[in-house]
Amino acid sequence: MKKVLIPIRVCMILILLTGCWNRRELNDLAINSALGIDKSGDQYLLSAQVINPGQISPGRGGGGGNYAPVTTYRTKEMTIFNALRKMSRQTPRKLYQGHMRMLIIGEDVAREGIAEVVDFIERDHEFRSNFFIVVAKGTRAEKILSTLTHIEKNPAEKMFRSLEMSAKAWAPTVEVRLDQLVSELISPGKNPVLTAIQLNGDIEEGMTVDKLESVPPPSILQYGGSAVFKKDVLVGWFNENESKGYNYAMGNVRSTTGFVRDPRGGKILGEVIRTKARIETRVQNGNPKGSVFVEVTANIGEAMGNIDITDPKTIDWFENESEEKIGSLIQSSIAKAKKWKTDVFGFGEALQRSNPDYWAGVEKDWDQTFAKLPVEVQVDFRIKQIGTANQPILKRLKE
Amino acid sequence: MRGFFHKDNQQRKENANGLDTSLSKNIERIQEIFYHSSDLIIREIQIGKTEPIKAGIIYIEGLADLPSIHDYIMESLMLDMDETNRKQQNYFDFIKQQVLTIGDIAYISDFDSLIKAILNGGAVILLDQQAQGIHAKAKGWKDRDISEPHSQTLVRGPREGFTETFSTNTSLIRRKIKLPDLCLETYTIGRMTQTEVGIMYIKGTAGEHIVQEVRKRIRSIDMDGVLESAYIEEMIQDHSLTPFPTIYNTERPDVVAAALLEGRVAILTQGTPFVLVVPALFNQFYQSPEDYYHRADISTLIRLLRLLALFIAFLGPSLYVAITTFHQEMLPTPLPVGLAAQREGIPFPAFVEALLMETTFEILREAGIRMPRAVGQAISIVGTVVIGDAAVNAGLASPAMVIVVSITAISSFIIPSYDMSISIRILRFLIMALASSFGLFGIFVGIFALVLHLCSLSSFGVPYTAPFAPFIVSDQRDALFRFPQLGLMFRPHLIRRTKKKHSTFFNPTS
Repeated sequence: MKKVLIPIRVCMILILLTGCWNRRELNDLAINSALGIDKSGDQYLLSAQVINPGQISPGRGGGGGNYAPVTTYRTKEMTIFNALRKMSRQTPRKLYQGHMRMLIIGEDVAREGIAEVVDFIERDHEFRSNFFIVVAKGTRAEKILSTLTHIEKNPAEKMFRSLEMSAKAWAPTVEVRLDQLVSELISPGKNPVLTAIQLNGDIEEGMTVDKLESVPPPSILQYGGSAVFKKDVLVGWFNENESKGYNYAMGNVRSTTGFVRDPRGGKILGEVIRTKARIETRVQNGNPKGSVFVEVTANIGEAMGNIDITDPKTIDWFENESEEKIGSLIQSSIAKAKKWKTDVFGFGEALQRSNPDYWAGVEKDWDQTFAKLPVEVQVDFRIKQIGTANQPILKRLKE
Repeated sequence: MRGFFHKDNQQRKENANGLDTSLSKNIERIQEIFYHSSDLIIREIQIGKTEPIKAGIIYIEGLADLPSIHDYIMESLMLDMDETNRKQQNYFDFIKQQVLTIGDIAYISDFDSLIKAILNGGAVILLDQQAQGIHAKAKGWKDRDISEPHSQTLVRGPREGFTETFSTNTSLIRRKIKLPDLCLETYTIGRMTQTEVGIMYIKGTAGEHIVQEVRKRIRSIDMDGVLESAYIEEMIQDHSLTPFPTIYNTERPDVVAAALLEGRVAILTQGTPFVLVVPALFNQFYQSPEDYYHRADISTLIRLLRLLALFIAFLGPSLYVAITTFHQEMLPTPLPVGLAAQREGIPFPAFVEALLMETTFEILREAGIRMPRAVGQAISIVGTVVIGDAAVNAGLASPAMVIVVSITAISSFIIPSYDMSISIRILRFLIMALASSFGLFGIFVGIFALVLHLCSLSSFGVPYTAPFAPFIVSDQRDALFRFPQLGLMFRPHLIRRTKKKHSTFFNPTS
């Protein structure tokens, strides 16, 4: 009889426990897809872009009405968490962070330091750490989060996807997630770089659904360049080329394109299909010396002008030119970083690994040492294929 | 109504069981015993010309075969009897030796066996001045023909199924296994129903301890009536406090034959086409006889598919409820957004929604079974409309929930054993409750408890979860996978008595 009673007792206790801890129905959630942080006086201005499910998802359930697919709520508070909780005065449902795709840091916050704002996001359990972190360049995060987008109705999803895609196909953007940012922030031998997001076009027009009916969007969100940090403070921007050089050096480039000019007026474009990069810092004669090794594999993607592609000499020439060009891209970004005295490449980390004793001596003022660090860049560029055509059309035309 | 067999013991003793020498007294007694039932036929005749003697033929209308009584008993006795052949014998010996042209006869000297004989469809011949009777086995009642079993249908495989008649059923098995070692032990169970229950096994192949155990449990059954093998099942099963069946039942002779060859024991019951097979292990319930009638690779994949369906049937709604109410972050972003859009305006929590739809489906299913065939169509139409569209349009359920409930329902039909399917259906609701209060944590706690429970079960001494726990490597050949026949040379480890099956294979190279 005792045996029978035990499960019954357990079941009775279960009934008492059905307070349904942490239970949230899907339609009781305000799914927050992006968070923006700006500065407003000495307070933080938090913008949360909340999905309006009925408008985003097709089919029934949404009901009629031409509402915006997202709603952006704003609150000002001294701390981020406070601001988020205060937002419940405006939102009809509980804000849910599990599906946040983008964290947008306003330029003013970045200039003052991002360490403070990242703490809450790292600490709170509800955030998944697979969202991207970008810096709003030349505008405020709240403006970025008030812009509607075409095709992808959810602007945060649009930003997420286009960063993902461009990081795959276009070298200047870099995907940085929370864990990477935090580890770079705390590492003494490496400073973070975040991709910058810009807002082009008419900002006010881009905020209303009506304007989305035009074919060219009134305003568009796009990535351009990257934000360079020294510790947690924004010190400057890499332009497209410097970002590209930075990404080559870091091995972030998965695929991109680049062309060189032929002295006779043609152009050859290489489509990068694979890259591999290594950064090393060694101590020579008591002085540290950095080196960047980059291996690039590419196909010929475009050949303009009267160039003999089938000639191995042309390929050799193209490879050498490309090596030089990529090398100079990398050098230019290193020069910029040296100017700002911020080691975003991780030469310090490399030194720490290869020469921990020496590192211990220079760790304190590594930024100063980095500014004078001689860096050698070695690029190995290889052409694999020339595509499905042999000679350029212009060449064939002449013959 | 307590029948003759246990009429008050005292009366029984007084009436000493032996037949009387007077025919009229005997007949009177029989009529008394049967309370003058109108289907009890007593035909009194006179036989013999030189020394006429009174005789009575007693049988029950409908149970005994009238043509054979007419042709082989009445005619022989009344017309064809040639008394010149009778020498010094008395009539009794003469009749049984030279007159009756019926195959199987037995002597009766007491009322107990007389009653039994009559109730089993025999005809009893009593002679005046003889305290003995002849039991002519002229059983002949209407049987159902052997037809395709309805509960387990196959694409490929034998089309015959057991019937309600005990002897037909045993013969169906004997036809498949032509072996003198195939034993049949028959017991009569049920104080009132006097049902024949047979144990069938192959001596030398079936584990002796299992046969012994079955015998012991069958003998210990004491109940008024056995109308279906389920009565037996309930009386002999190892565990009654479990939703899982620990005895397998089937309508298919080929399944029983296969089980016997593996060394299992079959229990046949008069009056039902469902034959019990013991020991029954968990893995039998998701296997289908067809697994062995198709090629091994196909069978293995289908078996795995069935297991997947078993899990869907078991966990489908629970996982949906748990993930959408507790673990929204586990889904790719567009999915929770889409689901949230569907749930806009639905007044119930996901659990109540699931419960509502599942209950509706269970009601429909039960109604589908109980409904007269003619109105079955109506049920399916109402069901489709109610579950499918109307519930969504009325805002009672979300389309996603309808999908979940449907796939769960369809999956539960894949499980070949109806008993297991019922168990899964019941447990599904428990797990749903756990899922709604604790999320995935609850589901896993539930699964843990269930696995522990499964491991505590046994069927006739064999662990229910074998060959997984205990893990028996050699039996894995026919558990989750179905190896080619070449690999199935060994009988199940815990059931068999002798290890190897007798089989040789055609070897194209030799």
